Amino acid sequence: MRVDLTDSLSRLLPEEAFGHSVPSSLWTALRTDVETVVAPGSAEEVATILKWASEMGVRVVPIGTGAHTYPRYPRDPFIVLTTSRLNEIQHYEPADLTMTASAGASIRDLSTEMATHGQWLPFDPPDVPNRTLGGLVATGLSGPLWAGYGQLRNHVLGATIVCGDGRALRLGGKVVKNVAGFDILKVMVGSRGELAVITSVTVRLFPLPVVDRLLVLEATDVSELVSTARAVATAPIMPASIILSATSDGGRLLVRLHGARVSVEADQKSLEKHTGVSFEVRNTPEAESLLVQERGSGIDTELVVRVWALPSRIGVLLDLLKQVPGVSLNADVYGGSVRAYLPVNLSDIESSLAGLQKDIEELGGTIRVLRIPAEVDASSYFAKPLVDEGELAAGLKRAFDPHAVLWGIE
Amino acid sequence: MYRLLEKTDEEPVASLLTGKVSSGMTRPLPSTVVSDLAKIVGHEHVITDPDRLLVYESDGLTAYRRPPRAVVLPSSTEEISAVVGLLHSNGIEVIPRGAGTGLSGGALTTPEGVIVGTARMNRILKIDVENRIAIAQPGVINARLTEATNPYGLYYAPDPSSQSTCTLGGNVAENSGGPHCLKYGVTARYITGLTVVLAGGQIVEIGGVGRDPYATLDLVGLFVGSEGCFGIATEIELRLLPITEGVRTLLGIFESVESAGRAVTKIIACGLMPAAVEIVDGPTIKAVEASVFAAGYPLEAGAALVIEFDGTEAGLDLDADRAEQCCLEEGAIEVQRATDPEHRVKLWRARKKAFGAMGRIAPDLLVQDATVPRTKLPEVLAGIDDIGNRYGLKIANVFHAGDGNLHPNILFDRQNQNELELVERASKEIMQLCVDAGGTITGEHGVGVDKRKYMTLVHGPAELEAMAAAKRVFDPASLFNPGKVLPEVEVKGATDTAKILATGE
Repeated sequence: MRVDLTDSLSRLLPEEAFGHSVPSSLWTALRTDVETVVAPGSAEEVATILKWASEMGVRVVPIGTGAHTYPRYPRDPFIVLTTSRLNEIQHYEPADLTMTASAGASIRDLSTEMATHGQWLPFDPPDVPNRTLGGLVATGLSGPLWAGYGQLRNHVLGATIVCGDGRALRLGGKVVKNVAGFDILKVMVGSRGELAVITSVTVRLFPLPVVDRLLVLEATDVSELVSTARAVATAPIMPASIILSATSDGGRLLVRLHGARVSVEADQKSLEKHTGVSFEVRNTPEAESLLVQERGSGIDTELVVRVWALPSRIGVLLDLLKQVPGVSLNADVYGGSVRAYLPVNLSDIESSLAGLQKDIEELGGTIRVLRIPAEVDASSYFAKPLVDEGELAAGLKRAFDPHAVLWGIE
Repeated sequence: MYRLLEKTDEEPVASLLTGKVSSGMTRPLPSTVVSDLAKIVGHEHVITDPDRLLVYESDGLTAYRRPPRAVVLPSSTEEISAVVGLLHSNGIEVIPRGAGTGLSGGALTTPEGVIVGTARMNRILKIDVENRIAIAQPGVINARLTEATNPYGLYYAPDPSSQSTCTLGGNVAENSGGPHCLKYGVTARYITGLTVVLAGGQIVEIGGVGRDPYATLDLVGLFVGSEGCFGIATEIELRLLPITEGVRTLLGIFESVESAGRAVTKIIACGLMPAAVEIVDGPTIKAVEASVFAAGYPLEAGAALVIEFDGTEAGLDLDADRAEQCCLEEGAIEVQRATDPEHRVKLWRARKKAFGAMGRIAPDLLVQDATVPRTKLPEVLAGIDDIGNRYGLKIANVFHAGDGNLHPNILFDRQNQNELELVERASKEIMQLCVDAGGTITGEHGVGVDKRKYMTLVHGPAELEAMAAAKRVFDPASLFNPGKVLPEVEVKGATDTAKILATGE
């Protein structure tokens, strides 16, 4: 819907908050070409915007960089709120392994700073250019490193947020163990901006591994790779991540081992003994480029789905999905999820998705559309808002965003 | 609606001084409710005899005592649902209880409350070796899950000190920690799914491995640590880990707690990831050495630092060497290293037996719990020492140094009213000190009743109201463990609630 709402808002905010651009892909995802973007310079300005929106009955779509889009768009008047101007490191105490930064700070910049102290954030979600810290937390995506390090939600120690009605809250803290009250922070991680706008985040960091070794196994027979992958996932040692990628022509298993050189070498031997295969070792930069590829960089198909099932069912899922002609698959073997990059020249996207959904649900899995071409009217396969999933989620939505101002995108 | 009380020095209920509530005041349950409960769980599992109720009048924090009107012991999700439905429709508050080992008074009943205990729900329902998960009922003892999964090469990581008696349901309610949480994280990291009985008896399933975790809000994460205020977890899906190949345990003896604290910072800063880093201070060492648990520590030692590494056998000696070097650089008097289980037990002895040994020094012990950023440990410990001196109280510190989780233990004599008051005031100062250092008022024991009075030190009215709003989403009439966690909650009239629930409006 075409709206120009900046007039009344411009009286409330400084000039610097306006005139910002966001990637054109966002407008495609939002089915609009109206660039009403506001970039607040502080949490107070975020609150001003949300209070204004509550009064005006305008929806607000909060984004980091807006690069990671999600096929849902508001039908009511809306503006886009970008955290791009909130980009400082507020506090970094390397000896505590904690960092607090504003939501719009780019992960790349933060990682550079952490690396100078031999530290990092061990998460590798699907590739997005210039992913922000707030965006990472709002999507809640950990990536396959979840296997070795646990999920992102367990390492977000604190955050400041502004609720849909403009209330600012300080959640959690700066310490790694904290049970002082109900853990509202947990529901903010992965809430995609549907409850509140995240304005700053405190994360727990990890020491960079001394050795980061990538073991590779390639084969044309994907089932063979699957059984090796599952053997790795049930081995007595715990790799940092286990990724299996496949197309109809074959696949590749990537196992990442972190630790001191002697322990990584011992882990590799023990995995090879346990699985009965020998892996090739890839070193950086080749290893790094393989991992970037596995995060989906360079795959520009407009049709992407994510499938979840019990990790032990991953082989069955891959068997099913690889039958789609031209598909490219990427599985987190430990977590039990598969991203499928589907060709957009599928004869009939809607019925293809319906068929897949039926088959996957029969196998005990769930499917979710992550990206879909703008011209496809497949609203029933669009990912649902988080708050549609039951009464409790809806109740939390009402508690944090009582006027339903916030419209989350992934 | 939530209302924040004016801050006063005298707390209406939640203090050591006034926590004792005399028995005999409890109003018995109507006989119809008792017989309806008996129809659900069986006559023998509804306890109303005042003598038998005494067992349930406190949890591990015995300063707060009050007998419940009754205790009900269901054996299944369906029974819990029916029991909760019945009690709530009568406007009766439900106080969930596991083994009662909590240290914040979280399982203390309200004057009108009925305790629903999970003691009979002690079955491990499933061990899924391939997916490394288990499903357990809430009354399963923490250590039993590890015993049951060990034959498959797996174990359950969170290891609270009470793990041989505390229950998994209690761990979920409190988001329990333990020494090895430094490397492995607290309970929340291991809970993947829950079956929960909500207010009114509704059964919901949340989370679960194999379900898209990004499809809805992280309700499991919110439920874990909700201290029985949101509902009762009746089936718990937990993540298991493979048993590590090897362990190295080091014991460093230091002249002062400060130098031990500096060694901890150094170990973490040089990129090591120990499984556990624990400190026992001088007064604790003296208590242990004077007790039957004597471990042969030098009496003049100011602190003992226990460091443990686990993982692939091949890398452990290297890690241990570097940690030992860190200790020596910070002035360790000696460093011992254990590779065999027997020696390991010996090195851990002072840490594990500290609480028991303190009984020799004073009749009563208040186990405090707070977290500070690790780098603030030396100054906070010096501050605690100063507080102890000013009040003339003995404070012995035993703590999870690696994650900055302090347990300053205040020793006192309950019979001495004057001393009791000093304990209260010293506790509050310690909490303020930790908060001022950038920390928080509880790292793993929870708020319960005991720490409600400190909640305003770390949270403003808006944050407390947001927590209250979250509670209302789960429990609109505040019939699950009311009067816990939040500083002061106005409870809606029980009769109104009963009407709403009874008519289904």
